[in-house]
Amino acid sequence: MSNERISTNISSWNRNYQFIIYAALIVVLALIPVFISSPFIIHICILTLVYIIATTSLRLVMTSGQFPLAHAAFMGIGAYSSAMLSKYWGWSPWLTIPIGAILAMGLGVFIGFPFSKLRTFYYAMVSVFFGAGIVQVIVAFGKYTGGSGGLAGIPTLFGAASKIPYFYFFLALAVVSVLIMYRLEFSRFGLNLKAIDQSYLVAGSIGINEARNRVIVLGIGCFFAGLAGAAYSAYNMGISPTNIDMTATLWLVLYVVVGGMGNFAGPIIGTIFLYMVPQFYRGLKEYTPFLTAALLFIVIFFIPKGIVSLPKLIWQKLKGRKTKREISQ
Amino acid sequence: MILEVEGLTKQFGGLAAVSDLKFNVIEGEILGLIGPNGAGKSTVFNLLTGVITPTKGKVSYKGKNITGKRQHEVAKLGIGRTFQLNPLFPNFTVLQNVVASFQLRPSSGFSDTFFNTKKYRDHEKHIQEQSLEILKMVGLYKVRNELANSQPHGYQKMLGIARALAVKPDLLLLDEPIAGMNPDEIDNTLEVIQKTQASGVSIVLVEHNMRIMELCNRVVVINFGQKIAEGTPKEIRENKEVVRAYLGGAYDTER
Amino acid sequence: MTSLSLILTTGVNSIILSSMYILLALGFAFLFSIMGILNFAHGVIYMVSAFLCLKFTLLLGMNPWLALVCTVIIVAIFGVLLERFIFRRFYGDMNGTIVACLGIIAVLQNSVVITEGYVVEKIPEFAHGFMRIGAFSVSWERIVTLLVGVILLVLVLLFINRTKQGQQMQAIAQDTEGAIFQGISIHGIAALACIIAFSLAAVSGSLMGSYLSFSPYMGDNITMKILQILVLGGIGSINGILYAGLILGTLDASLPIFVNAAAAQAIVLFVIVVILLFRPKGLFGREV
Repeated sequence: MSNERISTNISSWNRNYQFIIYAALIVVLALIPVFISSPFIIHICILTLVYIIATTSLRLVMTSGQFPLAHAAFMGIGAYSSAMLSKYWGWSPWLTIPIGAILAMGLGVFIGFPFSKLRTFYYAMVSVFFGAGIVQVIVAFGKYTGGSGGLAGIPTLFGAASKIPYFYFFLALAVVSVLIMYRLEFSRFGLNLKAIDQSYLVAGSIGINEARNRVIVLGIGCFFAGLAGAAYSAYNMGISPTNIDMTATLWLVLYVVVGGMGNFAGPIIGTIFLYMVPQFYRGLKEYTPFLTAALLFIVIFFIPKGIVSLPKLIWQKLKGRKTKREISQ
Repeated sequence: MILEVEGLTKQFGGLAAVSDLKFNVIEGEILGLIGPNGAGKSTVFNLLTGVITPTKGKVSYKGKNITGKRQHEVAKLGIGRTFQLNPLFPNFTVLQNVVASFQLRPSSGFSDTFFNTKKYRDHEKHIQEQSLEILKMVGLYKVRNELANSQPHGYQKMLGIARALAVKPDLLLLDEPIAGMNPDEIDNTLEVIQKTQASGVSIVLVEHNMRIMELCNRVVVINFGQKIAEGTPKEIRENKEVVRAYLGGAYDTER
Repeated sequence: MTSLSLILTTGVNSIILSSMYILLALGFAFLFSIMGILNFAHGVIYMVSAFLCLKFTLLLGMNPWLALVCTVIIVAIFGVLLERFIFRRFYGDMNGTIVACLGIIAVLQNSVVITEGYVVEKIPEFAHGFMRIGAFSVSWERIVTLLVGVILLVLVLLFINRTKQGQQMQAIAQDTEGAIFQGISIHGIAALACIIAFSLAAVSGSLMGSYLSFSPYMGDNITMKILQILVLGGIGSINGILYAGLILGTLDASLPIFVNAAAAQAIVLFVIVVILLFRPKGLFGREV
């Protein structure tokens, strides 16, 4: 009795369930290029992986009660710095990508301190404006950044011939990033973050340094955002402000919320459902956003806790029906 | 003296919530801090534990000046507290609430935490064992896996105390620990408080309820942020000024 | 242009922008303070209004003023429906509101993109010709926009402060429960607030469509502006909206003379960030 395993999820059944899903997912993904040769689908998978890194890191920050509504802008910091360093100074993308991530992390830590004094709503608003400001700065220095048209001609990692090496690169990057964030979430650090989120007063009274933890997690979140952005720019050979503006951040938030904020796998599921699935209906062409909007509305109207809560919801509905039958007999 | 407070003052604009307060806590004693509603008792706690900073005054803990130190620093020095409105971690289970509170002793470094080293795992196992011990002592062992906010009010307050104990404090500040409890729960709480004192922890209690006064070694009475009396429970009960201060306020001489 | 006419032109532009911003921000504030709705889609409503007005005048050959009235009616009705079927569902649920608004934005933006294509257009003018005073000339179009904006603003302010309904709205905004106790009919007032808010957005959209060039994505910028005004001015303060709207409108009209447009935006945004770090409640704010 004294050796119970504690998990920060409500039930440990949940955790085993998640592990199986992840393992299966990785195996399936790794085999995709073997069966599918369409470059378009590979491209979609790559982008999904990029967004998975971004949304998972976004959610990690959100577990501490902070709403960093500038996440896409930090992807932009990573992307543009990596792109400009490799394009203008000729550094190898293998070097500039981690540098981009570190720069994004640095900026996150820099603003993390003053921001850590703000509470939810004000924090969200200030991040919105900060992120928008970053984007405008990028556009303003158009001479170096390509302005609103974007920056092209960015050196790549594996050349432009085939997407397959990129696929495995991003798969590895995503797996490693997600593993790191998983470890953080289910460690005492993650526990502290959730404590801060639920009651910063109590958290302080038990010795949790709220400001320091908030800054650390913001730095980590921004690191992975910058990483995703930098890697993306090296793959795409180009980057433009429309990839990183306020709307982009809001869609990242969307993927997290629709997938389910309370669960580590939420952002992954949300990204797949809201980003990946509509892509396969490209045949709809310009009507695709309607499909996405429809999916959105279905989820928020009927599955308020996010897609991840669907199995539990169905289970409860079934249980409810069983009791009704028992009562009526 | 484990705690010395001198000239403690807090002004909110023109209003002095606490004014030139002076009192001491002798090591190992239970000190009662009583006064009518709005007398400033919770504010005193907030000043001592870094939730708000004093306008003037000095607070010394074990001889060290801790005036104005922030919450987590105060906790690290060994001062634990509960809160009047009893916020908890509502989405954690009862057990998780206590486990989460074991921040300090033992505490793992960042790299140990991240790489899940043996040291970290041993720490966590130790923490779990200690948490279960605490829950057993306060009587919440049975509901350890229930969600904190699904528990009845009395259990939640007890959980607040359990949480504060996880800090392994040498000084424990309890803010209205028995408010809203039924008689059984009150008995349980008083027992816990006594056990805690017996293990060497000094305690400061804020309460309305007179029954708790009997537990205290000494009592300090404040009203309008100022000390109006100090002494043993017997002396306080017979103090005319104190009785006058309570007339017309929310005060419970029954029990 | 001589420096005097530059100043005058900038002045005119400042007033136009400020009054439009304030009208939009007031509408947003109505929705927020009285109905608890954070309408992130307000900017998109503005864009759709501009689009409708354009379509009415171009396709149906309507008189621009008639088109404006029709647009306002349609948008107001649409707003009431939105509130009834979507916003009411997510009252108090911040995440749900954001997601719902994004859905609305996606649907409306995309509809406009499909019908309109990516071509940016201007709406035929409400008034023709130029007014000249010495070396200074300004189009009557601008004058009309300015006048309508300012007059509307004055009307709205008078409404809030002088009429019974307006004061009831203030009461609800400050203390909803207390207002109910006083016997104020919440539903009626709320519906009125909703109609006013959407109508203001509709008018702004229709007028500004002729002032700036139209793009299906211009709603995003406007929503951002509204948020800036509200947060800078302080939640719950009408004075705050007025001052913040004036400041931002003037900055947006004058800064682009000295630096490029994006840099101007960046400056404004970072200045706001710094101000908020020192005074999170904004210039006049009280509480959320």
